Amino acid sequence: MNETVNTWRLLDTGIRRAAENIALNRVLLEARQQDESPNTLRFLGFEPCALLGFHQSADQELNLDYCKAHNITVQRRITGGGAIYFDTAQLGWELYLHKRDLGTADMSAISRRICEAVARGISTLGITAVFRPRNDIEVDGRKISGTGGAFDGDALMYQGTLLIEFDVEKMLRVLNIPAEKLSGKAIASARERVTNLADLLGCVPSREKVIAAISSALADEFKVQFESGDLNAVEDRLYTAALAEIDHPDWVNMIALPAHDRPVRTAARKFGGGMLRVNIAYDRVQRRLKQVWFSGDVFVSPRRTLVDLEAALRDSLEDKLASVVTDFFQQRSVDMLTLTPDDIVSVIKEALGNAEVAA
Amino acid sequence: MECNGCEFRPELYYDDQYQIWARREEDGSLTVGMTDISQTVAGKILHVRVRRPGTLRPVGKPVATIESGKWAGPVPNVFDCVIEEANHDVLDDPNLLNIEPYEAWIARVRPSGSVEDALNGMVTGDAAQAGYCERTRREDIHCERGAR
Repeated sequence: MNETVNTWRLLDTGIRRAAENIALNRVLLEARQQDESPNTLRFLGFEPCALLGFHQSADQELNLDYCKAHNITVQRRITGGGAIYFDTAQLGWELYLHKRDLGTADMSAISRRICEAVARGISTLGITAVFRPRNDIEVDGRKISGTGGAFDGDALMYQGTLLIEFDVEKMLRVLNIPAEKLSGKAIASARERVTNLADLLGCVPSREKVIAAISSALADEFKVQFESGDLNAVEDRLYTAALAEIDHPDWVNMIALPAHDRPVRTAARKFGGGMLRVNIAYDRVQRRLKQVWFSGDVFVSPRRTLVDLEAALRDSLEDKLASVVTDFFQQRSVDMLTLTPDDIVSVIKEALGNAEVAA
Repeated sequence: MECNGCEFRPELYYDDQYQIWARREEDGSLTVGMTDISQTVAGKILHVRVRRPGTLRPVGKPVATIESGKWAGPVPNVFDCVIEEANHDVLDDPNLLNIEPYEAWIARVRPSGSVEDALNGMVTGDAAQAGYCERTRREDIHCERGAR
């Protein structure tokens, strides 16, 4: 029996200002919701910028003085998640779909399906990329693509950042995270968490080659073919209005929360197996651990355990801390010498009780 | 009453996709919130933002936005209204939407037209229950409540 292969649009909008790219996010999602756009795979690039998650505050997340001094534009995404630094050495990928084409309403399942397909595409370049719940693609425990989504009625957009080359030190300076202290150890610690195609392959792959790899994997996953296209007339019309709204301080500052409501707290303790340091971005209002970073030289095998624990702890409530850590270690076999899950909980609690780190 | 474990309240009014509920208040305002279906589909909700009191929200422009995992999106709006009040308990603890979606209201709004006109565009009672259950079956949605 012959099967009809659906055709989805492929857009490559090149390198643009952050405001233009975010305005296109808004336009393509809105037009998809109105059935004025086809399902679309878009590739994009950014001039240097810091992108906030939709519900984040610039004062809490970014080193705004550094951004200003280095002409790094600050913008707000329409997708959730955390702030990221983006420049011309990363490739953005985005899918715009109707929910009926996915066969499920489960947002976690949708994230997983798309990420696993993109990971397979990246892997064809000669590395082994896999999905790491909830929203990352990693290579050997190191993140290579962060992702997030937005929805509007029955339409959704899912987007990711693929690190082709990456300046870790610049990311640390832009983001208001504890490694901002920029010691050699902090940079080394950050480098253990992220990787990029150039480092893994020993050369910078061409943009065209990466686009072909991802497109092919997504075509296989969704049983479709892609055809290059441009914005249509409806999208062109919507774009003018969207850009006027998004290329404006009111949009970027839509959420302005005081930095003191999201302090960074830290603690370190020496154990038989080495030193364990923990830094925590803490939401004082919701009493939530927004993000946790472990460092030090404590022995843990497999090595990726602490990075996985960081992912498990993200956005967890302070009063759920012990159960999150206990559940995490019950689900896997880990060798930590004399270090115990309770020790880790106690260092985190010590950090939460400590004064904040000076920014 | 429930369908696939999704609680349904016949006295409330719903949009045709059963994403939001609305309740008529004595002062002529409407209270709006997310349905059990919506909170289940969204997953653990981490952020809620409600537009400022006094803001006019036409049909299609959301009263509020939510974020769960790394998904962000609107709480849809099906009638023209002005926002009167946000539920600060929910703003401070968005997870309440996953725990008690019919008690954890999101906003009180005043319809730009009459309350009757606003509610006429929504469904309630037996008809709403049939549509609500049909959606849970069609999309195979089984509701789960969050834990505190």
